[in-house]
Amino acid sequence: MNLFKRAWWHLRVKIGRTVLMTGLFGVICTLTLSGFLIQSAAARAAEDAKQRVGAVATMELDINALLEAQGRGDEDGGPTGVDIGSGGDLHRDLADKIGASPVVTGYNYLSEAVAVPTTSAEFYRAVPAPVGVNLDSVAEFFPVNGVRDSEQEIGFRNGTLTLLSGTGITPDASGNQALIEERFAETNGLAVGDVFTLSSGTFNSAASEVMVEFTVTGIYRDEKKSDHQRYTPPGSDPGNTIYSSIDGASRLQGKDPADGGGVIRRATFTLANPDDLDRLKADATTAGADLKVFPLAVNDKQYRTLVGPIGETAGFATVTVWLVSIAGLVIVGLIAASSLRERRTELGVLLSLGESKGRILGQHIVEITACALVAIALAVGLSQALSKGVGDALLSGEVASAAAEAAAEAAEPDKSDTSGGLGTPEAPSVEPVDRLDIQLGTADLVKVGAAGLGTALLATIVPGIGVLRLKPREILSKGD
Amino acid sequence: MTHPVLRLSGLVRTFPSGNKNRTVLKGVSCDFEEGHVYSIVGPSGSGKTTLLALAGGLDAPTSGSVSFRGRDVADIGLAAYRKKHVATVFQSLNLLGYLTAVQNITTAMQITGVRGVSRRRRAAKLLDLLGVDETDRRRRPARLSGGQQQRVAIARALACDVDVLFADEPTGSLDQDTAAEIIEVFQRLAHEEGKCVVIVTHSPQVAAASDEVLHLKRGKLTRR
Repeated sequence: MNLFKRAWWHLRVKIGRTVLMTGLFGVICTLTLSGFLIQSAAARAAEDAKQRVGAVATMELDINALLEAQGRGDEDGGPTGVDIGSGGDLHRDLADKIGASPVVTGYNYLSEAVAVPTTSAEFYRAVPAPVGVNLDSVAEFFPVNGVRDSEQEIGFRNGTLTLLSGTGITPDASGNQALIEERFAETNGLAVGDVFTLSSGTFNSAASEVMVEFTVTGIYRDEKKSDHQRYTPPGSDPGNTIYSSIDGASRLQGKDPADGGGVIRRATFTLANPDDLDRLKADATTAGADLKVFPLAVNDKQYRTLVGPIGETAGFATVTVWLVSIAGLVIVGLIAASSLRERRTELGVLLSLGESKGRILGQHIVEITACALVAIALAVGLSQALSKGVGDALLSGEVASAAAEAAAEAAEPDKSDTSGGLGTPEAPSVEPVDRLDIQLGTADLVKVGAAGLGTALLATIVPGIGVLRLKPREILSKGD
Repeated sequence: MTHPVLRLSGLVRTFPSGNKNRTVLKGVSCDFEEGHVYSIVGPSGSGKTTLLALAGGLDAPTSGSVSFRGRDVADIGLAAYRKKHVATVFQSLNLLGYLTAVQNITTAMQITGVRGVSRRRRAAKLLDLLGVDETDRRRRPARLSGGQQQRVAIARALACDVDVLFADEPTGSLDQDTAAEIIEVFQRLAHEEGKCVVIVTHSPQVAAASDEVLHLKRGKLTRR
């Protein structure tokens, strides 16, 4: 067609303008495509992170919700010294039912109890209690952590706790089993298979003191040292921490394990995908959980840690794409408008010869589209290296910034950590994604093609219509 | 009843000028026949170019009409009228700067749909006739003299096989001999090929060679 021939002649003769326009388009398309590539890489990393770390949903008592449900809401803000009764008990059987949900890839629970020494189980003390210390006012007790599976405990997972002999607490554990620290074992001369007794003491004034007999299933070592310089209350000395089966911990709390499998304080469910929380809530409701009293909250800290920096980088890329696209549209539009103004005479001559306005506009569209297509091809060649370089540089900055923030936050409790600061067993620390996996896909090509050609069309059609609505005489002369 | 090839009926053209309107043509009426060369003369600013633009379909009148073979050109469509029936040689030539002399002509022929001939051959023949040599034919307008550009502009108009040819000061940049040749071409087009040629001119030489001279003064057209 004639218009293609004219377009080709014009592009060839006005080679300087052609190169300028192609170069400008090339820069716009390269920056835009780089932004798209960073966005896609971030989206892929986020999806990968979702699949990799999933999320941990924690179920535990919301005491305010319970009191409200019992019609005893405290307007002064929080319960103070009230007996909440058995309504606040979270039972192991319920957690097991929820743990059977297909969206759960693993689960654990913790039953927290305390105990006082008996003749068969004395405290390990690195330094004896000084004379004059009121032992009733300090932590003179054993912390007893009832767990479903000790291997899932964060200490055993990250290596600060090591099993020395015997076995840990396993999901199928029944009866009163205990996993004890080697310092406690040595103090009391205990070995695997031995039996010792703990007393529930009188911490719970509503329950009478009970004596619970434990069988040692294993002995572990805690890397944390005892303080040999000054007195440490036994409850704070790592040598006195005991891991037990849920049955044993429940009995120390005066609860019968036959009633709902014992009581637990908190259950954690690992989800393959954070998006599965709604499904988990539905399954929990079906299992009989009252989600108002025992809400399920997601701790997606791992996911946020992994994708936080790359998300920030993607956000920057999105802003860049928009800015470059808008600025590009404006610049190309101005150049196209200026070019049309310069070529008014040509438009008038072609119109005077009877050429249709559509074909005249078509010639200009063909010219700018040819520049845009070459620019898109250039962008395809350049943008992968550019997005990799720029993306990695931005990302490393974000990772460093995230690391600094994490270090600053380390001293403060994690508000999203529903474990109450004890650490979530299923959430070991992770390193954020610090490399962009740039892959040029068809979708990116389509997007940059649409952006480039859309810019070309808009930049030509809008000013073109403005000129071509005039009559040839108006274009060619200023009146007689 | 036979119609003139071109009829101007009560043409009025007004242009806005500040807060007022300035009327350039005040009811111009005239018939143009095939096989004739017409010259339109008049002082500068009398509206000659405006009249040519209206007759050539480059502009629409404020009132009145232009008819081609009995049909109002507004009904034909100005673009179709320009494409099929008329061609204009502009005073400012208006050649396309990125095309060579030959390409300017073949492009016009393509747009106006000239068929049945080799466009390049026809362009070469016309340029030969108007005295544009081989080298200049391959040059773009910026590298041609004013006279050569004038010749190419005339060749472009002649190349389009139209019924009416308008020319605005076509010999303005030409020497006397070439101007005479051009006038001869116009006469041959009219007298031998039956075309209607309408020329706006200040040149007594062109006016004298015309079959009829029309005088435009203060927006009114009169025959001499």
